[in-house]
Amino acid sequence: MKIGIPKGLLNYKYMPFFQGFFYELGAELIVSEDTNKHILNEGVKYCVDEACVPMKIFHGHVASIKDSCDMMVIPRIIQLKEREFICPKFCGLPEMIQNSIPNMPEITSTPIYATSKNKLFSWALQEGKKVIKDTGKINSAFDEALRIQKHHHNGIKNKGYKLNIALAGHPYNIDDHFINMNLISKLNALDIGIITEECISEDLINSETSNLFKRPFWTFARNSYGFTCHLALNKKVDGIIYVSSFACGIDSIVIDLIKHRIGDFPFLILKLDEHTGEAGLETRIEAFVDMLERRY
Amino acid sequence: MYYLGIDVGSVSTDIVLVDENMHIKEAVYTRTKGRPIKAIQEGLKSFKSKYTKNEIYAAGTTGSGRQIAAMVLGADATKNEITAHAVAALQNDKDVRTIMEIGGQDSKIIILRDGIVTDFAMNTVCAAGTGSFLDRQAERLEIPIEDFGDYALKSTTSLRIAGRCAVFAESDMIHKQQLGYDSSDIINGLCEALVRNYLNNVGKGKDIKSKIFFQGGVAANIGMKAAFERALQCEVCVPEHYNMMGAIGAAILAKEAVMKSGKTNFKGFDLIQNEFISRSFECADCPNNCEVAKLEENGFVIGCFGDRCGKWGGKLVVNA
Repeated sequence: MKIGIPKGLLNYKYMPFFQGFFYELGAELIVSEDTNKHILNEGVKYCVDEACVPMKIFHGHVASIKDSCDMMVIPRIIQLKEREFICPKFCGLPEMIQNSIPNMPEITSTPIYATSKNKLFSWALQEGKKVIKDTGKINSAFDEALRIQKHHHNGIKNKGYKLNIALAGHPYNIDDHFINMNLISKLNALDIGIITEECISEDLINSETSNLFKRPFWTFARNSYGFTCHLALNKKVDGIIYVSSFACGIDSIVIDLIKHRIGDFPFLILKLDEHTGEAGLETRIEAFVDMLERRY
Repeated sequence: MYYLGIDVGSVSTDIVLVDENMHIKEAVYTRTKGRPIKAIQEGLKSFKSKYTKNEIYAAGTTGSGRQIAAMVLGADATKNEITAHAVAALQNDKDVRTIMEIGGQDSKIIILRDGIVTDFAMNTVCAAGTGSFLDRQAERLEIPIEDFGDYALKSTTSLRIAGRCAVFAESDMIHKQQLGYDSSDIINGLCEALVRNYLNNVGKGKDIKSKIFFQGGVAANIGMKAAFERALQCEVCVPEHYNMMGAIGAAILAKEAVMKSGKTNFKGFDLIQNEFISRSFECADCPNNCEVAKLEENGFVIGCFGDRCGKWGGKLVVNA
């Protein structure tokens, strides 16, 4: 059986798990290419217009491999932590894909509640059975997939640069170098080191969010808020760059929460959409770096 | 000794020549019309008979077309618009604490304290509420853009125009026109909508303190200046060379760069006769399919832009 894994959204982060799981079950893996112009165009063509650009790109990845696989991994991620949720577009992702892209193969649409090993296993069991009947095999493939994911290190922490900034935003906007126009190497070229949210401990993020008037409803919001505020208030970085998709609802709230908390700490918001002309992005980061250099 | 500064913006290309004391000797404002190289060549035409290459001590570029301009010119400094505008405003007045700049495609706010940029913001991916939108409305109403501000000042009743999006604003304006409202009142309403949108979007959460400079092409519109003053309840200064501030900043930054490096890269005014050809092609060497622009001067390739891996842009920079 050929299993397709689109390289978009949270599949960037959980690719080792999905790949490991289906590989252990004996499936052949078809992973889409890195995002490119063709994938973006296909995504914009198929996806509903109102969605954010990473959703559109995901559609493009699906379209690029749909004809070469028997089943596609479309993770319906609902929860990664107790009492918190992922952006609602993820909950409806399988339906969005099935109703927007014609001639789709079978998809994995079982909801993913990754709040405990047991709950995540119920996804593995349901979807694994589509590949193999042997539950013992599914069990061991699941354990192996978890082990691989655990040893895989996400996130970026540069060392040895003149100035350092916190690079915040949903992980897929930071990991997709096509849509963020090689932001990380552009910053490195300006002698700016970066750190991402995966590289600080969960406890530091949580202790920062515990100051909020109510616990964050969204996991993305908790991570971005806790990460940026902790580093800014403890002066562990020289500035913050927040990469955000145009029309993102979660970001519209969390960005303002961050601004209120950090006061006049240097903060730049980069909005991403379909744009591939780089002049606008370059002007913003160059001006931000100039400002940091003159401030310190 | 003179310093040359060029700001290649989306709508206009501004060229200044300043002397040692940063006094303006020449100021040329041309429309870019999507052809930045041609605009630079046209703009520099009048310079060739008056100045020699040796009189130009440094040359700098800014604006969204700064990279291509730098290659055409042989620039000593290539800087973003925020830094250039801030440098020029500070040269004009050390006490400036807020710069509001609205250009053809961008709007910016720059907050300065004690002569240092401490915060700035630019419009996001959307260019609603900038100069090109005003241009388009002036064209639609068949009113020269230069007279737009005068019309706004004649207004007696303030009409409300939707300001969040240029397309919304246009349909709201058209609906009001169809009902017979006065053009002056509509234009004034449009200025107020742009100011409201600017302050709520770019200016949101920013500590706007006087002295406030209003610069960029849109500062020519006295209706906009008046609307800002009403909204902010304080004086807004439009500097004398409000539409040249980016170019002046580029000249100052070029001067600083040459003071460090010791010599200029400026190619001389003969470049106005040279043949620059820019071609675009799609690189097929990897799935990125980058759209690469290749710039040739008299048949020699002087630079490439737009490739992600640096294969084209990195190695071809040679002076023809």
